[in-house]
Amino acid sequence: MDRPEATRGGIVLEGVGKEFLGGVVAVRDLSLAVEPGEFVVLVGPSGCGKSTTLRIVAGLEAVTVGEVRIAGRVVTGLPPRHRNVAMVFQNYALYAHMTVRANIGFGLKMVGTPKRETRARVDQAADILGITNLLDRKPRQLSGGQRQRVAMGRAIVREPAAFLMDEPLSNLDAKLRVEMRAEITNVHRRIGAPTLYVTHDQTEAMTMGDRVAILRDGALEQIGTPLELYERPVNIFVAGFIGSPAMNLLPAKLDSSGDAWHASIGGFRLLIPPKARAALRPFAGREVLLGLRPEDFVSTDDVRDGKHGIIEATVQRAESLGSELLVYLSINDAAASRPLTVRLDRRTAMREGTPARIGVDLQRLYFFDSHSGAAIR
Amino acid sequence: MTRSPAAQLVRTVVISAIVLWSLAPIGIGVATSLSTQADVQEIPAHWLPHHATLDAYRSLLGGTGDSRAGGTVSESGAFAHAMWNSASITLMSTLAILCVAISAGYAFARLRFPGRGALFWAIVATIVVPVFTVVIALFGLMADAHLIDRKLGLVLVFVSTTTPLAMWLVCNYVKGLPAEPEEAALIDGCTRWQAFWHVVLPQMRSGIAALSAIVVLSVWGEFLIPLLLTSTSASKPVTVLIPEYVGKYTTNYPLLAAAGVLALLPPAVVALVLNRHIRGMLSGSS
Repeated sequence: MDRPEATRGGIVLEGVGKEFLGGVVAVRDLSLAVEPGEFVVLVGPSGCGKSTTLRIVAGLEAVTVGEVRIAGRVVTGLPPRHRNVAMVFQNYALYAHMTVRANIGFGLKMVGTPKRETRARVDQAADILGITNLLDRKPRQLSGGQRQRVAMGRAIVREPAAFLMDEPLSNLDAKLRVEMRAEITNVHRRIGAPTLYVTHDQTEAMTMGDRVAILRDGALEQIGTPLELYERPVNIFVAGFIGSPAMNLLPAKLDSSGDAWHASIGGFRLLIPPKARAALRPFAGREVLLGLRPEDFVSTDDVRDGKHGIIEATVQRAESLGSELLVYLSINDAAASRPLTVRLDRRTAMREGTPARIGVDLQRLYFFDSHSGAAIR
Repeated sequence: MTRSPAAQLVRTVVISAIVLWSLAPIGIGVATSLSTQADVQEIPAHWLPHHATLDAYRSLLGGTGDSRAGGTVSESGAFAHAMWNSASITLMSTLAILCVAISAGYAFARLRFPGRGALFWAIVATIVVPVFTVVIALFGLMADAHLIDRKLGLVLVFVSTTTPLAMWLVCNYVKGLPAEPEEAALIDGCTRWQAFWHVVLPQMRSGIAALSAIVVLSVWGEFLIPLLLTSTSASKPVTVLIPEYVGKYTTNYPLLAAAGVLALLPPAVVALVLNRHIRGMLSGSS
């Protein structure tokens, strides 16, 4: 398919707010731009306003305040049919009484596309998605994955100015989800329309998104490439949300005596690398939150002086995932109530209830203000 | 699920009793309709006719009536006319009720507009008003509007008495349907009306079939309102005609019973046909 002209502009939300009757605020002052050809994933816990945001772009919900632009055109007050968007719903939302062909071609029929052209375009979309053999079936005769493909077909056949997807994979089983993830990405690359994709699954967000926007309580917490969010989370919410298992957050005291700065957690001290000190200076002598990613730990045998700090703890539980070992440690004498989650090489020997000494990469310490939760950097 | 034999027995007995209770009058009616007047009046009474005959039906349907059944040409004309009145009134009322109830029920279920809740409950509240409490006012109104003894008058009354319940049922039904196919249609380029027509109505097929059955049965069986508002064969439905067969000095029981059996057939056919549709319900879209 040629890249349609309409994809020259992207999706822009400017200062968008949505308050429902009864005073529930679903979206607060949200500004976001999806560039032409870009795939942006909106992610956040349930109730964070991500689906409402998508529905606002589709025109299914009216904004209380703010502006929405699609392909350079202000669409804030327009009904869905005048926005030239396509949407894939979580439960597929196929027209149960129509065949697959009629489902895919319905949008074209509604805008008065000649029958022959409709037929050709439906065939082409079906070909892209590998559902040509299903065109004469009814939705109820299809499996979940096939219905998902039909829903995708219905969206791409119209060559929309913007693509909207509302948790399209959450009704599929794990294996199919991985397959469809790749397929959606491929289709997106082929079609090139700016895409806004909503999910609560951070793996989907990280693997599919060119950029990922994290929402909490209707407000944008951070937007960036998956790597940016992982490497430089702006606050503890983003830090805890991105990465699996989640980042460990421990209260630590900044000890700045002399040249060597340390973060003290209960009975042990971690040397803070010089490059982090400038930002930490205002917090000297105070308590901060120390963030440690589970994957930044190494077993004792791999510890190298200067690169790793040592933490002593007791093994609470060890779970082998085959490819790796997840270990939950209770830190000796620490104030931290939650166990420390550590991801180690699968060959590491860890016995439950025994003491363990593990190393943590000192270059990969994260620091957060313990009052505001904001990153210190 | 397995049941104990005792429970099974109790179940069978109870269900049989209910079925017998419901079907016995119809059975007696059919037997009587196949009897002669002499048969019916014989003492001691017997359940089944000694000489089964279709004379009562012939009299009603305009065939060659036998004097034993007591049918006349004028009776056959009146009966056929009353059946026609019943059918046309039921058809017109049902169509009008479905149109109003489906569009209003959908609007109350899906659209947001000021005063929606108050308006909805004001309409639904009229269901609890028994018709006999308003008959005098109703008669006055219809007389003023020159709608006495006219089918249109009956249709209007049935539409206003039956629509609130029908609308309520539609509203609940639509609320139970997934909204996403409709939203997908809006995004696919439909106006609200087109989405309703192309996507919502087909989704509602089984519900509409069930609703039609309810409305047809209730309108066909109406007695009080037609009794009040009709006086001649111009609009008199079969429900009002049949009791007229009960004479002051003598009653032609076979004729009365045959009229009852014939009047039972159209609603029975409707119930059977639509029941099949209801059971063949569309599977969901998800």
